[in-house]
Amino acid sequence: MINLIATAESCQQAEALLDAGADTLLVGSHPFGLRLPHSLNLNEIETIRTMAHDRQKKVTVACNALLHNQQIDKLPAYLSRLAEIGVDAVTVGDPGAVFILEELQLPLPYIYDAETLVTSSRQISFWLKRGAVGAVAARELTLTELKAIQASVDKPVEVLVYGPTCIHQSARPLLTNYYHYVGLKESVAKDRHLLLRDPKNEASQYPIYEDEDGTHIFSTVDLSLMSELQEAYDAGLHTWKLDGVLLRGNAFVAIVRLFAEAARAIEQGHFIAASFCNRLSTLQPPTRPIGTGFYLKDPKDVH
Amino acid sequence: MNVGIKKPEVLAPAGNLEKLKMAIRYGADAVYIGGQAYGLRSRAGNFSYEEMEEGVAFAHERGAKVYVAANMVTHEGDEQGADQFFKKLQEIGIDAVIVSDPGMIMICFEAAPGLPVHLSTQSSATNYKTLEFWKKLGLERVVLAREVGLEEIREMRRHSDVEIEAFVHGAMCIAYSGRCTLSNHMVNRDANRGGCAQSCRWKYDLFEFDNGETKSLIPGDAEPFSMSAVDLSMLHHIPEMIEAGVDSLKIEGRMKSIHYVSTVSNVYRKVVDSYCADPEHFTFDPAWEEEIWKVAQRDLSTGFYFDVPTERDQLFGKPRKIPKYTFAAQVLSYDPKTHVATLEQRNNFGVGEEVEFYGPGFSHFKQTVRDLFDEDGLAIDRAPNPMMTVTMTVDQPVEPFFLMRKAADKD
Repeated sequence: MINLIATAESCQQAEALLDAGADTLLVGSHPFGLRLPHSLNLNEIETIRTMAHDRQKKVTVACNALLHNQQIDKLPAYLSRLAEIGVDAVTVGDPGAVFILEELQLPLPYIYDAETLVTSSRQISFWLKRGAVGAVAARELTLTELKAIQASVDKPVEVLVYGPTCIHQSARPLLTNYYHYVGLKESVAKDRHLLLRDPKNEASQYPIYEDEDGTHIFSTVDLSLMSELQEAYDAGLHTWKLDGVLLRGNAFVAIVRLFAEAARAIEQGHFIAASFCNRLSTLQPPTRPIGTGFYLKDPKDVH
Repeated sequence: MNVGIKKPEVLAPAGNLEKLKMAIRYGADAVYIGGQAYGLRSRAGNFSYEEMEEGVAFAHERGAKVYVAANMVTHEGDEQGADQFFKKLQEIGIDAVIVSDPGMIMICFEAAPGLPVHLSTQSSATNYKTLEFWKKLGLERVVLAREVGLEEIREMRRHSDVEIEAFVHGAMCIAYSGRCTLSNHMVNRDANRGGCAQSCRWKYDLFEFDNGETKSLIPGDAEPFSMSAVDLSMLHHIPEMIEAGVDSLKIEGRMKSIHYVSTVSNVYRKVVDSYCADPEHFTFDPAWEEEIWKVAQRDLSTGFYFDVPTERDQLFGKPRKIPKYTFAAQVLSYDPKTHVATLEQRNNFGVGEEVEFYGPGFSHFKQTVRDLFDEDGLAIDRAPNPMMTVTMTVDQPVEPFFLMRKAADKD
């Protein structure tokens, strides 16, 4: 069974995503969840949980931030509330959060998500031995490596099948600092849609924004594993995430719907990659290229 | 007596055996080095097992420690041989390994039980529960993320007794360490496996899409966008670091020169000793700062220790003019009767030039080179050849391993 995970920005979008075929919704609140489409409060999370459970679907809450003392102080109460609400799992990337989960012994499974730091089956096994029920693989891995990792662990390894990936988080307000220096006033929030270009690569366009967690930079393309979904599926990679952190509303829902259809086609044995890739390109925002990132690279070419 | 003050370790980088020895002579209580694999400084001079043995023997004779950084974030297969590596380090007598990958930590525990493990800054430890997690697992020490403030360290100390190591000096990652893959995505070099191309120090255009067309947001003549940071220096705040409970004061720079490592170690040694000897009457000597500027490569700031860094903590515009000094020679021996020192040349210098001698214990003096003789005792004007042995008359007594610097030639 494929588990199609989609981020949700609101109760309204959550409902549309469930209708579109998402199996699990990923939501969260500041300051525990990192790089979310939108920070939701506990009431909204509870509403989404009800919506999902009514349809026999699931809700995971992102608690994957790099936590400072101030946040870690507040985490036990937050996790306890999530357990009361009855969400299905949380994602965590800070070992301090794992420590707290062990202390609290809540009925709240966790998925290990430390982004760039999850690159081998040994690391994942380490967290599985400490209670994790799955792990989110780094996007800097090749499909060859992802397949080898999934073959070595008996819990789901989540891969990003669609969306941008964060390639840099600084705790510094890098855009604000820059604009202060040059004496300009500019919005630096996510909805400003600022992009960075590396002058040595004219076609590059790295989304960049600031929030309470600092400055975030994303990949120059939206990653898509559509062309390789069959291969991933055959290798046991059945946990697929679509990240809508930079794509709002119905545009994201339409893409989730397409991947859900692809999942069904694969399960029923009549998936044709080229056709789905074509349809994806018609749904993709025109200013945002699609790419395969590291997925199709030879592991030897990255060092 | 200074009851309650625990003297912290001064921890210096050592890119090779010569730097290791120099760092220890100049006051480092411990040094960290890289092995032939599993580290993050593929371009730093890394140590063979034989060199490690010599380094450990040298350090231990002087009561100093040697740590090995093995902080690579491994991909499938990279961990092969790591068990033998850790076993060998333990046999050699390495005092601890610095690791970030939990897979590698477990390999180390199994292969070399009892070999202390320190968590690398690559894991970005930012709270006291994280410290407790790693302590419970069996780690001896945690190197904090550079994003942690001084008040946060005090709070961590109230909740955890695991050893805390914190950076006090040197270049900084602009991102949370380990959470930056700019280099992977831009040039196929894995930042977490030693390939960092320092993409954060590049210049970028900042733009938006306006009706499908790209529109630059940087005015024509303005400075391009960059993330490059100035360097960290907590030189003025060592007492606060000690009082907050930091056990080890870390100096960055396994790629840095002997001149740099000896100077920075010397200064921090002096500050820590001065403060711990008499905390109540401690005053900051401006000569310490003056000395640090002789090897500074960028402007300096206190990073995140007091507040979130602003534009003043970043490298925009013309770099600050920093007087440059060159390492000119190393003292091999000294004859107190004739006041003649024998030197090994490291950079071209000659008669008439103003030079400065410095040695361990923060001893310094300046003089003009009045005379110079080659190995055959023949008078020469300049010492142009790398590593050539020369003699000259010095104004004050020197000792072997004193170093001589001079103002760098103007460009």
